[in-house]
Amino acid sequence: MLTRRSTLGGILLAAVSLGAAPAAAQNFTKQVNIIVPYAPGGSSDILARLIGPKLSEAIGQPVIVENKPSSSGNVGADFVARAPGDGHTLLITDVGTLASTPNLFKKLSFNVQTDLVPVGMVMFAPYLFAVHPSVPAASLQELIAYDKANPGKLNVATSGVGSVQHLTALVFTKKYGIKWGIVPYKGGAAAVRAVVANESNVIFNGAIATQPFVVQNQMKGLAVSGDKKLAALPNLPTFKEMDTPVYDTGSWQGFFTSKGTPAPMVARLNSEIRKVLATPEVSKRIVDLGGELKDGTPEDLSKFVTSAIAQWGEVIKAEGLSLD
Amino acid sequence: MDLFANLATGFAVAFTPINLAFCFLGVLIGTLVGVLPGIAPITTIAILLPFTFSLPPASSLIMLSGIFYGAQYGGSTTAILVNVPGESSAVVTCLDGHQMARQGRAGPALAMAAIASFVAGTIATIIIATASVPMSWLALKFAAAEYFSLMVLGLTGAVVLAHGSPAKAVAMVLMGLLLGLVGIDVNSGLPRMTLGIGELGDGIGFVPVAIGLFGIAELAVALGSPQDRSLLAFKARNLWPSREDIRICIAPILRGTAIGSVLGVLPGGGAALSSFAAYAVEKKVSRTPERFGRGAIEGVASPEAANNAGAQTSFIPLLTLGIPGNAIMALMVGALMIQGIQPGPQVMTEQPQLFWGVIASMWLGNLMLIVLNLPMIGLWVSLLRIPYRVMFPAIVLFCCIGTYSINNSVFDIWIMLLFGLLGVFLIKVGAEPAPFVLGFILGPLMEENFRRAMNLSRGDPMVFVERPISAVLLLMSLALLVILILPAVRAKREQVFQE
Repeated sequence: MLTRRSTLGGILLAAVSLGAAPAAAQNFTKQVNIIVPYAPGGSSDILARLIGPKLSEAIGQPVIVENKPSSSGNVGADFVARAPGDGHTLLITDVGTLASTPNLFKKLSFNVQTDLVPVGMVMFAPYLFAVHPSVPAASLQELIAYDKANPGKLNVATSGVGSVQHLTALVFTKKYGIKWGIVPYKGGAAAVRAVVANESNVIFNGAIATQPFVVQNQMKGLAVSGDKKLAALPNLPTFKEMDTPVYDTGSWQGFFTSKGTPAPMVARLNSEIRKVLATPEVSKRIVDLGGELKDGTPEDLSKFVTSAIAQWGEVIKAEGLSLD
Repeated sequence: MDLFANLATGFAVAFTPINLAFCFLGVLIGTLVGVLPGIAPITTIAILLPFTFSLPPASSLIMLSGIFYGAQYGGSTTAILVNVPGESSAVVTCLDGHQMARQGRAGPALAMAAIASFVAGTIATIIIATASVPMSWLALKFAAAEYFSLMVLGLTGAVVLAHGSPAKAVAMVLMGLLLGLVGIDVNSGLPRMTLGIGELGDGIGFVPVAIGLFGIAELAVALGSPQDRSLLAFKARNLWPSREDIRICIAPILRGTAIGSVLGVLPGGGAALSSFAAYAVEKKVSRTPERFGRGAIEGVASPEAANNAGAQTSFIPLLTLGIPGNAIMALMVGALMIQGIQPGPQVMTEQPQLFWGVIASMWLGNLMLIVLNLPMIGLWVSLLRIPYRVMFPAIVLFCCIGTYSINNSVFDIWIMLLFGLLGVFLIKVGAEPAPFVLGFILGPLMEENFRRAMNLSRGDPMVFVERPISAVLLLMSLALLVILILPAVRAKREQVFQE
């Protein structure tokens, strides 16, 4: 009896959804996986775990966050690129890092632009540009002048070879003719420690992780990337004001899904995620992370990726950098 | 004085309810694994490591260190009552402790072991607290070159002080070093020895390796050699040692503490070496050496003091310089790194709460241990009756859960099993896994700092001898090597390990 009634209900439901035409494709039919291509604890991971439960409520399906850590996030991105194109597997990643991979890795197992479908941007967190207090420079101009007078004396600590921090340092080298040495560390925290200890002297690194050291005078802040001043250090100029190249360098977090996902499904994902981002809890947490909410359409993200690939590709090719 | 202010900070941290609870949990688990032969503290720490991810750093370290020194207490119980060392460091305690038990003096032997451990633990806590302060100035002097030289010293020490053949220890260090280099090279960003497996890009995970080598392998080997666990009947009534016993033991306890404290600090040293050395010394200074091996109470007191003191002072190189002196300390490095704390001299200045909290908790833990061990001895003894067929599958399950939960990665479980197999092989051919782990941890750090120092000096290798601290560390490594090669010292070394 029960079976027959539910079968009947199913037919009715099917008829209704047939009438609504493309809407059928937008329904979530099973568990959604958010792949974080880094170890737990970073920005992508925190955002995924923050957004996951709320997204689950909105779509009526469980949302599971899964870490697939590897350097550059390639393992996780590859996993999403190969997943079925039904919009049930999402990637949240640092978009700048993702956009640098096609030029850094010759043997990349997926194509960033064709195997991953942009869903939407989430957040931008700027870099703080700082030096050890013993470096006699309080601005970029003074730093350039000091470097000209003492070539080869300065060292930039970066979070790793090929990282956006590294690429940013290379862009500054080229643009301003600075002769600093570039010293890679294992991650941003180790790089910060090296500058505090004056093993290296200059750093571009996530503002939220770096600003406490500037506030406590263990580092001297020179500027902040992007176009907004830092609340904690309002006297620092922005890269935009200083008209530096790659002024919007920093950590950009965005969502992608698998190749073949139909456009209406991508649109539904985009609108659900943007609704979650608009909730006070999530937007407050993004500010706490030192970031700025940056939601937008899938097309916005797609354009961003295209221009970032070109922007970083130029630096990578000019330097002959390769990671495989 | 700074010391008291620092200890006050430490006790404030250690006395918070959550840290008291984790300290208690640590020493409780420590006693438990100490009592049970076949499960070493290192196994337990390796298994529990992943679960500390969600704890505050101080609580995590307080609990893990509690397991280590707690096991030194528990190990003696089994040694005295069953004549099987619960821990490798309790081997010597069997000699006289079990004889005392046979003579119906199990109570005083157990009590003396606990008292000696407590006295040594208290003194060692004070030693750590005082020795750490002068070492903190190093925090400002350490850069890449110094770190490199420090790693060289650590690895040399691991070879010189390892048990058994130095050749095997060198081989183990080199093998650890090689496997440690798998993954992305920090200085070029290129993957090395990953066989094209993406999961190996960040290297072979330390936790799966440690659990495999120390958890799975040790269990498998323990299963292969069934032990006689017949208990001696013992009555909890006559627990207290006589006034005469205490009088005899005061000097041996203090000597044991001194020996343990010194040997514990040396790289490769720690609890086991300390207890052997203390026993040998007591036998030598005694006016009645013939009593040893026939139930001499000082033969229990001194080694027990030494192993506990050694267990605690082996934290000094880790907490002040960030280099692990033995395999357990290498696991502690892993625990810190999981928490996002890079071990090194800066820990003391950047994380005073963590640093002094852990030290203060050691004394509290020792206090808890004496309460846990004396009145509740009957409970621990009954644990010895749990059959392996119940205990071991449970442990293997915990190994798997622990490994998986770090990265939610099934790949890591395969790595764990692979290293379990490797561990069985190493134990069977008589090669210690401890130098392997040190090579695995220190090798990549050594390379990274070597190349960074060269990068910073723009390719000038003289930087390692021009910087004074680095030069001293390299000279010390050289001295250790010379000691190893000198024939006289070599003979003596073999003799010590034979005993």
